[in-house]
Amino acid sequence: MADLEIRNLHVRIEEREILRGVDLSIDRGEVHALMGPNGSGKSTLANTLLGHPAYEVTEGSIRFKGEELTEAEPHERAKAGLFLAFQYPVAIPGVSVANFLRMAINAKREEPINVKEFRTELQHAIELLDVDRSFTSRHLNDGFSGGEKKRAEILQMAMLKPDVAILDETDSGLDIDALRTVAEGVEKLHSEQGLGALIITHYQRILHYIKPQFVHIMLDGRIVLEGGVELVERLEREGYDQIRQEFGAHV
Amino acid sequence: MSEVAVKPGRHRESTLYHALHGAGAGDGRTLEQLREAALKVYESEELPVWRRSGFWTTSFEGLDLDGLQVRHHNPHAPEGTSTTYNDDDTLSARARRVASKNNNTTTDPLPAIVGETLPERERAGRIVQRDGTVVSVELDPELKRRGVILCSLEEAAREYTELFAQWYSKRLTYDRHKLEAANAALWTGGAFLHIPAGLAIEQPFEIVYAIDGPGTAQYGRTLIVGERGADFRAHEYDLAGDFEGQALHAGAFELYLNDGARCHLAQVQDWGSGEVFDASTRFVGVGRDAYCHWLPALLGGHLVRQHLELAVSEPGGDMAFRGVFFAQEKELLDVFAVDLHETGPSGGDVHWRGAATGESRASFEGLIQIDPGAQQTHTYLQIHTMMLSHKARLDAIPSVLVSADDVSASHGGTVGELDEDAIFYMQTRGLDRASAVRVIVEGFFEPLISQLQDEPLEEVVRTKIAAKLAAAREDIEAYAASR
Repeated sequence: MADLEIRNLHVRIEEREILRGVDLSIDRGEVHALMGPNGSGKSTLANTLLGHPAYEVTEGSIRFKGEELTEAEPHERAKAGLFLAFQYPVAIPGVSVANFLRMAINAKREEPINVKEFRTELQHAIELLDVDRSFTSRHLNDGFSGGEKKRAEILQMAMLKPDVAILDETDSGLDIDALRTVAEGVEKLHSEQGLGALIITHYQRILHYIKPQFVHIMLDGRIVLEGGVELVERLEREGYDQIRQEFGAHV
Repeated sequence: MSEVAVKPGRHRESTLYHALHGAGAGDGRTLEQLREAALKVYESEELPVWRRSGFWTTSFEGLDLDGLQVRHHNPHAPEGTSTTYNDDDTLSARARRVASKNNNTTTDPLPAIVGETLPERERAGRIVQRDGTVVSVELDPELKRRGVILCSLEEAAREYTELFAQWYSKRLTYDRHKLEAANAALWTGGAFLHIPAGLAIEQPFEIVYAIDGPGTAQYGRTLIVGERGADFRAHEYDLAGDFEGQALHAGAFELYLNDGARCHLAQVQDWGSGEVFDASTRFVGVGRDAYCHWLPALLGGHLVRQHLELAVSEPGGDMAFRGVFFAQEKELLDVFAVDLHETGPSGGDVHWRGAATGESRASFEGLIQIDPGAQQTHTYLQIHTMMLSHKARLDAIPSVLVSADDVSASHGGTVGELDEDAIFYMQTRGLDRASAVRVIVEGFFEPLISQLQDEPLEEVVRTKIAAKLAAAREDIEAYAASR
């Protein structure tokens, strides 16, 4: 059994069914790309995996490392080793990046992290994400530019060391330099720490920096096509319309 | 947080507002005469009711004043022994007797709540009033040698007659309502702090008013004067433990800053879960090129009415008027905060933040008043509130009264609720919901708390807010679920 097992997942928001039977398995150390046009259900899947209260699972299950998480609270999923890098990170006024990270790390531990260890890890993460030291004393996401928010997401990921991370359009709104920094950060966590990743995107750009082993195409709430990195190239050539025509009868 | 227009007020107290004009210093009356005059007001007035038509009513009619006594303690006696004056004393006789009482106060007993609340820290000095009596005065001997005075106001009236006559009730009044009159007529104990010219003192002076049980009427009165160029910190604590039954704190506070003096003034008020009524008036006068940073933290009390007035009285004066409040359970808090500019050029910056849980009610009115001739005044008032319960109510009315034409004055505010997206975001980082809520509310207050620039005091305020949030946890959950 894979670390993250998603089986026949059906999800509603209010009265509308968005996901209509998603199956997906991700192991630690694997990089998956989830691609699909706007509105296909990618972000819904991301939010549902972390237990956003607005999304209702009507059928199917989410298991993580053998543990049933379908009904778990978001913080329990985080403690189990899941992470979501948000498409639109939320500002937390009055709380510095460093203090927030310390709280989040300590929430997962019995004993609070000691000051020296925390500092060492923070320094490591700062270098990885190529941010200024003063970045960590700013209030989390409060007044951050789009690029700073995305860096802060990956900085948190580096510090919290999840087993599997879902990156929800982390590439959107980034210029090419920021994209490279962020992507290299993810790649490094993957190669050094064995991070498993589900990279949600509708562009190919980020996949030039992080090579996925598995590519999944989502259309209208289902994964309709799966394969290796060659799927990315096919998408680049044909676009979603071709795939929609091919699978249109089934969706 | 959504930007919501704050209700405009039209016909209301502030449009008729007259600044505190004083009753005492300079008009030649003795303390005894002032007490007698105030007593007449006290005896003829009914318990006060503040009405803000269409917004709120704050009534002290539920206070059983006859059931309360000014309770006195022997400063040298062990815990639990105390003397009380009887109700059949005439009030003026009571006042006289207290005024003549010798408070040679050097040792404990301090009420338990003082040890539980005040931080372990270095301090320049501390004076503690327990119910009606000052039971402890400590002053750094070096500061005493350099001329700092810290003593009970009773002692100041006896021993420092010139200073007392010069400053006592220079701006405070005694005839606005029954409880203000009660303080002016009946105050006992009290605190007097005088900082000589040019003295800069790093550590704070602490002034503590503690109510030690039900049935107590406490008429506390503080007078602080910073002479030319003095630079100091003053922290007032208004505290009571948790008890059942009524008690009253009718307080009066005045601080005068002379030319170039600077003061960081803070007040931490938490009257516990007892039925403590608090009707207090506080005035801060900022002199030429002087500066005051004033931050009241109003964190609990059954029924609290605070009249807070910060006046720039001489050219070049500047101030930052900050405030936080947190109302819980069935508490009612009514704040009238005045940013008064009597002359220009002057600066002002008023910024308040408040939250309400339970079935509490918090009403805040902030007034910028710029008097005729106070040209070159620049001031701003903002009030931000956060609702944490569907049964709580929060009102905020900012108003601006300007009688000069070369000034800038404006106001703004927000009404916020818990941001569910922010809670989810933090949960995905491993924080449970209650912790996420705490982070949001603490983050909401933090911009002001950090301005205290005094770590031990900041921790007192943070700890109190965290405890109140923990107590209201179920209520906050229910509110979130209902939306």
